[in-house]
Amino acid sequence: MRHERRPPSVPSFHDEGHGYDVFGLRPAVMRRVERLWRPIYDHYFRVRSQGHDHIPAHGAAILVANHGGALPVDAFLLCLDVLRHTARTPRPIVERFIPLVPFINTLFARIGAVTGTRANVARLLERGELIAIWPEGVTGMAKPFRQRYQLQDWRVGHAELAIRHRAPIVPAAVIGAEESWPVVTRVRGFHGFGAPFLPVPLSPLPLPVQHRIRYGAPIELHRDFPPDAADDPAVVAAAAARIRAAVEALIADERAARRGRRA
Amino acid sequence: MRVLVTGATTPLGLRLVEALLDTPAVERVLAVAAEDDPRNLPIGIPALTYRAVDLTRPRSVHDLLFGPARELGIDAVVHNALHRSARHDGRRVHALNVEATRQLLLECERHPTIRRFVLRSAAEVYAVRPLEPNLIDEDQPLELDPAAPQWVRDRVEADLTACSRMGMSRLAIVVLRCAEVLAPGMGSQLWDYVQSRVCLRPLGFDPMINVLSFDDCVDAIVLALASHGQGVFNIPGADTLPLRRIVAAFGRRDVPVPGPLLAPLYQLRTWTVGFEFRYDLNLQRFHFGGVVDGTRAQRELGYRAHHRLAWPAGRRDLTAPASPS
Repeated sequence: MRHERRPPSVPSFHDEGHGYDVFGLRPAVMRRVERLWRPIYDHYFRVRSQGHDHIPAHGAAILVANHGGALPVDAFLLCLDVLRHTARTPRPIVERFIPLVPFINTLFARIGAVTGTRANVARLLERGELIAIWPEGVTGMAKPFRQRYQLQDWRVGHAELAIRHRAPIVPAAVIGAEESWPVVTRVRGFHGFGAPFLPVPLSPLPLPVQHRIRYGAPIELHRDFPPDAADDPAVVAAAAARIRAAVEALIADERAARRGRRA
Repeated sequence: MRVLVTGATTPLGLRLVEALLDTPAVERVLAVAAEDDPRNLPIGIPALTYRAVDLTRPRSVHDLLFGPARELGIDAVVHNALHRSARHDGRRVHALNVEATRQLLLECERHPTIRRFVLRSAAEVYAVRPLEPNLIDEDQPLELDPAAPQWVRDRVEADLTACSRMGMSRLAIVVLRCAEVLAPGMGSQLWDYVQSRVCLRPLGFDPMINVLSFDDCVDAIVLALASHGQGVFNIPGADTLPLRRIVAAFGRRDVPVPGPLLAPLYQLRTWTVGFEFRYDLNLQRFHFGGVVDGTRAQRELGYRAHHRLAWPAGRRDLTAPASPS
């Protein structure tokens, strides 16, 4: 099912008076990037998505998805999808070495990305923003092709934030990134700009593999736990495992649907 | 309220004294500065008393507090005297920035009438690092790198001196970590930076910068004087924008240059032309930005930045009365 596409808007944008928010988001740049990527999204990756209705129309929420591919093209497509199909501005939470990378740090900031520090994320949730988190981080990207769609190290910060800030978690699965840009190897000795390694992809550019995105029903951890439970490591770990299971189920469903379509 | 203001002849001090004289709750202002002739202060006003005092001399500080301040029944001190030139360093600069703060605090603690001490500190005390949050709250690490320039180290030491005295006596201490006041005569590095017709900045980086207006800074100090609590408060300004936009707002030419070249280029410029701007003071900020978070000041002092700078046509708004350095 494809939803009708709406032009991107920025209802949750907190203008600090000069057309930027405090993290550097610039809606005009975001719209320009969205226009530039539109043909890539529509015709190169032929993104098909469903379940946008699960994304809350307003208020703080956390989008949690799997990660794959040599570079975060899947994250870019996911954010673009949210932007095009909902009235929300996704705020992707990026790795902490990103501020060190020239040009990329500025581009990412202008399109809404925020460095993954606890204070940054807490502030976004307090402001009622929709944040997007990939709990696998860089371990999800650049994993061997034989491990495709197997979730890697699963950080638990998103569960803690959801409980503490009483924000629903929307699980999401992105299918296609693993085949689009598989990684041959990673150069572990490379730490340029603070990166943990250098991925060596099979092809210089991602292959034109169709991407499928599915959003799951929101998981409202705050209905089961009081905010204080965010300090309990066992509760947070169990909650994160529940989110992981939800993402895994979505991945399995969507891969099955893809196989069915091919058959 | 009877208030003693140090650094009274600085651009901020002058505005603060004027604001205090206009505040109904303030009965008396004792303005203190190093100059013998405070030309810009409204000396004729009965509620204002001026004293020329060298704060680097402990005896002078003592005599000020236990002489005129006691006679006038001063109950609050605003310490606003910091050496503003980034090109100067050494023992005498340290004496004003740090030793004077320490001496004032110690004397205020045993003073018979003074019950409140407000230190105008600076957001430059925070360590700006790529791994730190974009929004800097009061709990973020301070710049404690021993290799940091004295300009920064002094500010950190003065700030920590005040923080370490909190709760040690009946003196209520408020430390205001103010964002940079983008104006002349304030020791603003950014102001000096945009005085050049060509502004070099690191290639590939365009950090968000927050700047404070005189009016908001004065408002924050007046609110701190009127409040009852103590603690450390960030004071952000109403303007947050990328460095490139600040350069453009001043009609300057923005030239991105590979980062490693900037330090020698600016050093060369300092040697040849003598500008105040020091790239080593701004290296981290020009890469990673960082905006002070004023949530605590809003919650506990009722402070909210209202006064935006007039960009760029309102240069008059940025221009402060000239003052001896």
